[in-house]
Amino acid sequence: MTSDINKSFYDFISNGMPGPEQQTDVNNAILPARKAAFSRFRSLGLPTLKTEEWRYTNIQRYLKDAFTLAEEEQSTVTAEQLKGASIPKLDSYTAVLVNGRLQPALSQLPADGKITISKISDAAGNAQLQAWFDKHPHLQKQPFAALNAAFFADGLFIEAGVNASLDKPLHIIHVYTAAANAFIQPHHLVVLHKSATLEIIETAVGLNEAAIAFVNSVTEVVLEENAELWHYNVQSTIKNSRHIYHTSALQKADSRYHHFNFTLPAAELTRNNLSVALTGSNTETNLHGLFLATEQQHVDNHTFVDHQVAHCNSNELYKGVLLDNAKGVFTGKIMVHQDAQKTNAFQQNNNLLMSEKANINSQPQLEIYADDVKCSHGFTVGRFSEEALFYLRSRGIGEEAAKTLMVNAFAFDITDQVHIPALQEFLSDKIRRYVTGAINN
Amino acid sequence: MRNSNEIIDDIANKEYEFGFTTDIEMEMAPVGLNEDTIRYISAKKEEPEWLLQWRLKAFAAFQKMQWPSWQHFKMPELDLQKISYYAAPKKKSLKSLDEVDPEILATMEKLGIPLNEQKALTGVAVDVVFDSVSVATTFREKLAELGVIFCSFGEAVREHPELVKEYLGTVVPHSDNIFAALNAAVFSDGSFVYIPKGVRCPMELSTYFRINAENTGQFERTLIICDDNAYVSYLEGCTAPRRDENQLHAAVVELIALNHAEIKYSTVQNWYPGDKDGNGGIYNFVTKRGICKGNSSKISWTQVETGSAITWKYPSVILQGDDAEGEFYSVAVTRNKQIADTGTKIYHLGRNTRSRIISKGISAGTSDNTYRGLVQVGPRAANARNFTQCDSLLIGDRCGAHTFPYIESKNSTATVEHEATTSKIGEDQIFYLNQRGINTEQAVALIVNGYAKEVLNQLPMEFAVEAQKLLSITLEGSVG
Repeated sequence: MTSDINKSFYDFISNGMPGPEQQTDVNNAILPARKAAFSRFRSLGLPTLKTEEWRYTNIQRYLKDAFTLAEEEQSTVTAEQLKGASIPKLDSYTAVLVNGRLQPALSQLPADGKITISKISDAAGNAQLQAWFDKHPHLQKQPFAALNAAFFADGLFIEAGVNASLDKPLHIIHVYTAAANAFIQPHHLVVLHKSATLEIIETAVGLNEAAIAFVNSVTEVVLEENAELWHYNVQSTIKNSRHIYHTSALQKADSRYHHFNFTLPAAELTRNNLSVALTGSNTETNLHGLFLATEQQHVDNHTFVDHQVAHCNSNELYKGVLLDNAKGVFTGKIMVHQDAQKTNAFQQNNNLLMSEKANINSQPQLEIYADDVKCSHGFTVGRFSEEALFYLRSRGIGEEAAKTLMVNAFAFDITDQVHIPALQEFLSDKIRRYVTGAINN
Repeated sequence: MRNSNEIIDDIANKEYEFGFTTDIEMEMAPVGLNEDTIRYISAKKEEPEWLLQWRLKAFAAFQKMQWPSWQHFKMPELDLQKISYYAAPKKKSLKSLDEVDPEILATMEKLGIPLNEQKALTGVAVDVVFDSVSVATTFREKLAELGVIFCSFGEAVREHPELVKEYLGTVVPHSDNIFAALNAAVFSDGSFVYIPKGVRCPMELSTYFRINAENTGQFERTLIICDDNAYVSYLEGCTAPRRDENQLHAAVVELIALNHAEIKYSTVQNWYPGDKDGNGGIYNFVTKRGICKGNSSKISWTQVETGSAITWKYPSVILQGDDAEGEFYSVAVTRNKQIADTGTKIYHLGRNTRSRIISKGISAGTSDNTYRGLVQVGPRAANARNFTQCDSLLIGDRCGAHTFPYIESKNSTATVEHEATTSKIGEDQIFYLNQRGINTEQAVALIVNGYAKEVLNQLPMEFAVEAQKLLSITLEGSVG
């Protein structure tokens, strides 16, 4: 294995990290799962450019630096520092996590007894946690998910009971901070029982520009019958951060999952592994993604929609705007199993290259074993239309304003789907700022 | 009237029509693959030293390579030591068609390739490759008047060594992939075409490949060079007799288009696909690649793939010159346990280069049909343009259709579009045709032919007819 993986990172794993046995402070009940994950990681090894899933993202170069495990630093985080991740005008409950650990003092959690929000470490005996932790089928082949499960520090456990719902969204603020280069591994689990509904917004903030925060995060989502989850993930943090996000959802019959992914500046690496397993009929899945990357950013979106049973609908739209030297990757796979007749699965990826040096690699894939299906994918890449720009300018709109307007129009398909006005405004504002900033550079 | 399930069963179970073996004497190389085999082939073909050295270099590269593992099917076990690498009909150097072994002529007749008739009526010059050696070449003299060279590879090596030496292996290097390396080491013969400057080749050039003789792998090598302002349309068609043992076909095709030249390469492939349980059948592992070396040059690949147990090839175009154009049109039909993993690779290197990819997959039975393609836009390829469309049609609920495109754009002025759809024949469409008095069999045929029309239209006339026939034979049981 050592020959395949980065030497210093391997040393860090074998020496720097306490073994699964030493992680017992978190949860004894999880220990067997940790051990299993560790052996899985050992057999998978770290990916290289020859690994098909990682052919466009050279992960090795992001692992070269020396990392330490992040220490708990909640005492140093103040409400003031959370501002970077807050959304103006948003009326919500909040859960503040520092390096994956919930900070009740900084949070405003709902008092509803039907909805449990706690640390994974505090939910030790929970049957749902035992049943679902690290069990998602799509995580089993992901080396970084295995690494996460083996060594994760802590995470959020959200359980919504039968018919439970909240009067306003839950805003999860992730704070990543460490004095030195740190490898941070949170693991979250969201379980929605029958007919429960929830809206979750995630934002993140990095506090220390001087040190690299490498976040390797896993979020598992389980939707029981007729449950519905709106899941917004806004990835906008400081430059000196590298992220690998795994989001794996499992949908049972009649459930609905709406996932929104916004990757914005300035993390130098963002890799999203989003996957949905459809195990019950009549489900609905909407995956919306917008990535806007500037400077040297590398944004890699991998999505996987796994139609295992009949009568499911999935819809995916990812849009990318690449400025400066940014590099984008989109790999979307739709798999339709033999029994998944009457599947409707659509996927679309459109990209806008705004600078000479920006580039995009895309692999929209269909793997279909059933005949009575309607599946399609589409991909485009191009730059903004000169004619449109000329039209706007001839109407007296400056170049900068015109370009910003065009990017906003391009992103509108995604932002328009956001159902929370405050969030929509927040996103449009951010897009405007980043585009203007990049054009002026 | 029979219901559609019966029709589908018929299609799925249809046996190969052209499965017969021609009984003629063959000269065989000893079974096995080693340096001696290569020296034997080279000596048999009286090749110059440089070509032998090139073969040996390729063999050395081959030995260092491993079987690929990225394909979307289970790689069959190939024992390359059990194959004879050279088989030639004993009777040679024929001057006219009369001298051709009557058995071969009869076989051709059976396949619907009446050589004489074609010569007389269609104006197609046919270079018949029977196993590995050309036994008949027609219209040679007529072409020679224009300076067009159309001959077997062996002849080209003897008569035009400077051209062969200059271009051989420049598009598909000897170490390109394991099958190309194997081919470079042991290729027995093939076709060579050179169109001189400014000549528009007056007729469609065509070669019929057939695999005969037990346990011989077919390792053809085709090299087509189109000089400045020249044009050629080349047709390649294949049928093979039925065999129980799998046969490997690892050909290499290299196309070179210089300034303002245009090459149109069409293939109809109908090799033995194996029986309905997946026994036997040809493994079609071919490397085809063309380079638009000159400015404003154009290469167009058209393929109709209905045969072979496994079809695994990606005819590619390197658009090196500015304003060059590449095209790829494909229909792939798979039935029973057939596998097709095919598509194209287009490399946009020059400025204002354009490419168009149309791929139609039809899968029935328990077959798997995969489109895999790469569109790469280099940083210099300003204003490059690509459009890709791949559609899959599924007949029956046990087959698979997959699309794996790779798109890499490194130039912001490039526009790349890709779209793919997968569906089955609509019941509403069948119903519509039914209520117009067209039975289900004919309706299926009509719909499939309409579906593939966009590609079939690209074929030269003579071939289009054959391809349509093939498509209907392939899907027969339904097609009346």
